[in-house]
Amino acid sequence: MSRSAVILVRIALLLAVLGAWEVLPRAGVVNPMLLPPLSQVLVVLGEILKRGDFQEAMAVTAAEVLVAFVIAVPLGALLGVLSAENEYFGAIFKPMLFYVFSIPKSIFLPMFILVFGIGFGQKVAYATFSTIFIVIMSASAAVESVKAEYLLVAQSYGATRAQILRRIYVPSMMPILLETLRISMIFNFTGVMIAEMYASRTGVGHMISNWGENFMLPQLFAGVIVLAVAAMAFNELVRYWEARCSTWRG
Amino acid sequence: MKRPSPPTVRRLIGLALLIAWEAVPRLGLLPELFLPPLSKTLAVLWLDSYIYAAALMVTLYEVAIAMLIACGVGILVGAVVGGVASIRNLMLPVFSSLYAIPIVILYPIFTAWFGIGSESKIAFAGVYGFFPVMLSTAAGIRTIDEQYLLAARSMGATLPQLIARVIIPASIPTVLTGLRLGGALTIIGVVVSEMLTSASGIGYLVTMNRTILDSPRVFAAIIVVLALSVAFDIAVRALERYTMVWQSAGRRMASSSTDTSARLATSASAA
Repeated sequence: MSRSAVILVRIALLLAVLGAWEVLPRAGVVNPMLLPPLSQVLVVLGEILKRGDFQEAMAVTAAEVLVAFVIAVPLGALLGVLSAENEYFGAIFKPMLFYVFSIPKSIFLPMFILVFGIGFGQKVAYATFSTIFIVIMSASAAVESVKAEYLLVAQSYGATRAQILRRIYVPSMMPILLETLRISMIFNFTGVMIAEMYASRTGVGHMISNWGENFMLPQLFAGVIVLAVAAMAFNELVRYWEARCSTWRG
Repeated sequence: MKRPSPPTVRRLIGLALLIAWEAVPRLGLLPELFLPPLSKTLAVLWLDSYIYAAALMVTLYEVAIAMLIACGVGILVGAVVGGVASIRNLMLPVFSSLYAIPIVILYPIFTAWFGIGSESKIAFAGVYGFFPVMLSTAAGIRTIDEQYLLAARSMGATLPQLIARVIIPASIPTVLTGLRLGGALTIIGVVVSEMLTSASGIGYLVTMNRTILDSPRVFAAIIVVLALSVAFDIAVRALERYTMVWQSAGRRMASSSTDTSARLATSASAA
């Protein structure tokens, strides 16, 4: 299939799903109480976007996601580079990291609540905790992806440390680093959402879980659409960068 | 002086953590509300063992069914998406985009649809585990060496023979990796959903005891969940070693960017 045909089929599929969302509840095939028709959800979506409390909740959630991201990514990257550069350190901690990986992080959420309460700090702390391990792993993978031959060639031509860093490490690591950004944002966002849904007084996660409990499904679906679109928008933005940077690497 | 070997250091760190868990609250460095001593936690676990066992049974039942759904549907869809080139080009980027959505936001919808009983947990954890299984099955089918297929075809293998003798054995290692991650995610999905809205299961014990500030019982439930996920991990790794004999050398690793992202994305559990 050609590129334009692929895009056309994808658009057709999307329209089919959206059409089914509108038609099935209206025709009574599925209960409109359980799946409100798309048009109704979109009307509600327009209304809640104008509501002051929803805008405030979005601002709180965005701030939590941002602060946790700014803490977790540099810190995790530093630890990851250390464990890749120092063989002994890496040999000790890498298996432990793999082990921590398979553990459900959310089970520690009660500890964060006991220690930090249920405010802003707890959301940031928990989201940082749930993100940092993937950053450590990816950063050390990024360092290890630098080909030893390139380093050898650069060193034998007398490249300085700064030159090696700028000309070899950065271009080689760039695709993986961008991918790390993308995936750690997925983790980070999930962490904030779980924390907000679990125990909170503010944030979009808190709002959608309230709407669910009160069976306000049009509002619930509208909130889920907002969150899903935000998550996918960031993801696609970084993927676009990734595609541009991968041309550097032969 | 010779440096101690990494496994020794790891064991020492583990031991130090256990001792700290006992000593730090006893010495009053942290209030017992934040961290109850290990001995107290284990004593509570022993005392209430029948409550924890009953909750564990509920959780295990939900995990088992969710895992069947996630792995069954995941392998099926993954095989189709990975095996048929036109569907792969069409759908794989779409699935990668959808993977960015924090799936936990769907849980309120599931509770509204299925109630707060086991059904909503099974549905949520099934969806949660589906993606890694599907993505790694698709990647596994794709990384099969073309030459195996060519050799089998030129010896006149039929399609069923090709599937049974070449495709399945060659994709088993990747599929098993997917099962390990997908299984871990279904466990997480069940526990998270039990913590959020529920009236039974281990996750419910965590939340219930947290709201009444009974820290030893919260930590006892945490120990049970950790034991569950570690036991599952050990079981699947044993299965992986057992099937390793089928895997022959020289498997080509695909290196396109969707593959790396599928590998990285599936190599972790977001919750």
